[in-house]
Amino acid sequence: MVIVLIGATMVLFACLFVLPGDPVGSIAGSDKARDPAVVAELKARYGLDKSLPEQYVNYVAKVATGDLGEDFVQRREVSEILGPKLQNTAKLALLAIVLVTVFGMGVGIIAALYRYSILDMATTFFTTMAVGFPTFVIGMLLMKYFAVELQWFPQLGGDKLEGMVLPAITLAITDIAFVARLTRGTMLEVLRADYVKTAVAKGLPRRRVLFKHVLRNSSIPVVTYLGISFGGLLGGALITEAIFNWDGVGLALVQAIQQQNNPIVIGVVTYSVAIFVVLSLIVDLLYAALDPRIRLS
Amino acid sequence: MRGAKSAKWVVGAVVVALAATACGGGDGDSKDKGSANGGVFRLGSTEPDTIDPGRAHESTGVLLANALFTGLYGNTPDGLAEPALAESATSDEGCTSWTFKIKPDTKFSNGEVVDAESFARGWARAAHKAAASDVAYHFAGIKGYEQLQDGSAKTFSGVTTPDPTTIKVDLSKADCEFVLKTAHNAYSPVPKVAKVGEEDKAFGEAPVGNGPFKMDGTWEHNKAINLVRNDGYGLQKASLEKVQVTLLNDKTAQQLEYDGFQAGTFDYAHIPTPMLKTAEAKFKPQNKWFAKDTNGMNFVLPIGDNGPTNNKDARLAISYAIDRQAIAKGVFQGYQTPSTTIVPPAFPKAYQKDLCVSCVKQDVAKAKEYAEKGGLKPGTEIKFSFNTGAGHEEWVQAIAKQLEDVLGVKVKLDGKDFPGMLKEQQGSGATGIYRFAWGADYPTPENFLFPLLHSASMNKDAEGNVTGDNRVRYNNPEFDKLIDTARGTKDEAARLAMYKQAEKMAMDDMALIPTFNRSQFRLMATDKFNGLDDINFNEDPILEKISLKK
Repeated sequence: MVIVLIGATMVLFACLFVLPGDPVGSIAGSDKARDPAVVAELKARYGLDKSLPEQYVNYVAKVATGDLGEDFVQRREVSEILGPKLQNTAKLALLAIVLVTVFGMGVGIIAALYRYSILDMATTFFTTMAVGFPTFVIGMLLMKYFAVELQWFPQLGGDKLEGMVLPAITLAITDIAFVARLTRGTMLEVLRADYVKTAVAKGLPRRRVLFKHVLRNSSIPVVTYLGISFGGLLGGALITEAIFNWDGVGLALVQAIQQQNNPIVIGVVTYSVAIFVVLSLIVDLLYAALDPRIRLS
Repeated sequence: MRGAKSAKWVVGAVVVALAATACGGGDGDSKDKGSANGGVFRLGSTEPDTIDPGRAHESTGVLLANALFTGLYGNTPDGLAEPALAESATSDEGCTSWTFKIKPDTKFSNGEVVDAESFARGWARAAHKAAASDVAYHFAGIKGYEQLQDGSAKTFSGVTTPDPTTIKVDLSKADCEFVLKTAHNAYSPVPKVAKVGEEDKAFGEAPVGNGPFKMDGTWEHNKAINLVRNDGYGLQKASLEKVQVTLLNDKTAQQLEYDGFQAGTFDYAHIPTPMLKTAEAKFKPQNKWFAKDTNGMNFVLPIGDNGPTNNKDARLAISYAIDRQAIAKGVFQGYQTPSTTIVPPAFPKAYQKDLCVSCVKQDVAKAKEYAEKGGLKPGTEIKFSFNTGAGHEEWVQAIAKQLEDVLGVKVKLDGKDFPGMLKEQQGSGATGIYRFAWGADYPTPENFLFPLLHSASMNKDAEGNVTGDNRVRYNNPEFDKLIDTARGTKDEAARLAMYKQAEKMAMDDMALIPTFNRSQFRLMATDKFNGLDDINFNEDPILEKISLKK
């Protein structure tokens, strides 16, 4: 895990600092000329006057002690800046993943159980649409109709639940569609499996067969998908957060990239990688719980 | 509308109420009829770079610095200087020494008295190397500036305070308009808690000022900056109780402001260019639409010392070949007007309409004639650089097409990010034409002519890179002399005449190619507030004049 982390930040560091452009110039884009004295002062302040290897060594030495450094714009600790943003993103991600689990799996199960019914066909139709729609279009449409026109929800997300609804739906909608289709597919496969037929033949109640055999076995790929998806959401949903001005790591990343505020960019990626690694582990553990044949060695 | 109707009979009661609460400051402003104290004015904006008065330079930062601080002078919305804390400003005959008398006994929001010393402190603090301020150059004319810039001094040798209400300023070069510069936010006074000569982060996060508003808490980065009325303000107190600035992601800020205005989230909004028509149709009938020609000017910047635009004839050919009317009507849908000057119409005393003859109307024959003379033969390649993502693509492409159609030249469009374009423009290898715009910091034609065209604003370094704002590399000793003399001329009429003459000289040389005057459009919640009938010199709402409608 540590190796993955070091590798990821190293590659990113190299990319960011080799990129053309001048972080000092980007801190404030101004039409008017910058005094060379100002530029020199800023470069010295951020340690950008040193050579790249030197900057890298300084950075790694700091990261090793858990210090992600200071950002270029606010001059505050990266961890201090990102902490509250990570919480905000987590709130949104959590609500989104609940929506995805409940609606995605629910719709998928119903569609599988009533295969080829109108319900199933409608599911196929709408999930195809949802997958095809870009997130920013969904987000902007939701904002336009439910916040600006109807004014049912606040336009910009706040700390209250009602402010989270629109961004969470925007985040969830594509994943709901994916999970619905995935659940439907695996369910149908399992329904056709011999052991299910055997269970039915044995005369077990339908409910018991469904929950004990079908759902449990068909949920493995879904859980994997949910795990990865949740990791992605926690790493910051760039577009959604930008649309709803949600003060999370996604928005922070978008702004940091624009301003070439490299410490923040690296910080967000470091967190994201760490979250991914932890979530993969959790998913692996869940496998074992769901399918006794899988054992962690 | 309901407010307007009821206002007629409420007026009497409100005047009594205002007098009773004594918060109106006893003003006789008829525009504020039907106003009540209190109210929260909400606007959305991008995260400012800094709100420190000594460093603020972009739109939001300037808005906040001006709400939090009051200096010697201010600007009226229509571009005239007006005294704020200054009681008088006098200069010697040669305009190299200025003396300001300030109003006694006004206070910072922490209770400290604003004296001459606090001005000297604020100026030195902003000009010192440690501030790394982008606007420090506004102090460049004061004696001792270099020592502050290299960090060897912590005070201006040219600024002295003989008594608590007197500031004496010695300049290194005559400047009869120095008083106008003091309206810039960098010239704000600061209290003793502000550190001079060292980095001052804490003050920058929650500045303690002497303005009509004070901070309500600290700057919540990327989230909000809240202001509350400063009840101890030394001049006419604000009527609004609070100002809430929600900080928006800069990629979608204008759209969020626009949507937010409609959703009732904001009381004031910018409008994304593609939405102008819709917005006008919807909000003009409601009296919430606001339009104004401001002091911003758009130019095509021809590199004057190098490449195909190194001669006047070639530049004239380009100017004649551009059909400004067509672009104003087509690309800008009538929301921008063609420009024929360097100095904006927002400076009525200095404005010389149609000074640029080649700008008035597209003239294909003349364009071809000058192209021939200037060596812009058909097939010549001209590089046209612009910054992407800021809405310039369309008009830049339109001009490129016109140049190709009229002159037969080949225009190579080169889109870059903003810092990239600026860097290239300043580099010794700059060639061809660039997209360019300029807005004034103080209301004088000098603020266009000196920075953009005086050879002292070029500052070429050893490698030939320009560090000043004279990016066209215009170098005309006669022009320089005229500007220098004008700056040292005390009589305003004579000074203006010289600026006009200098502008004509630069225009005859086609040093800059004017394209469009900048017009600004806003949505304002006039149904809820009074005082939303104008924007200030910096194109911001006039917070201290806004009041709740009752």
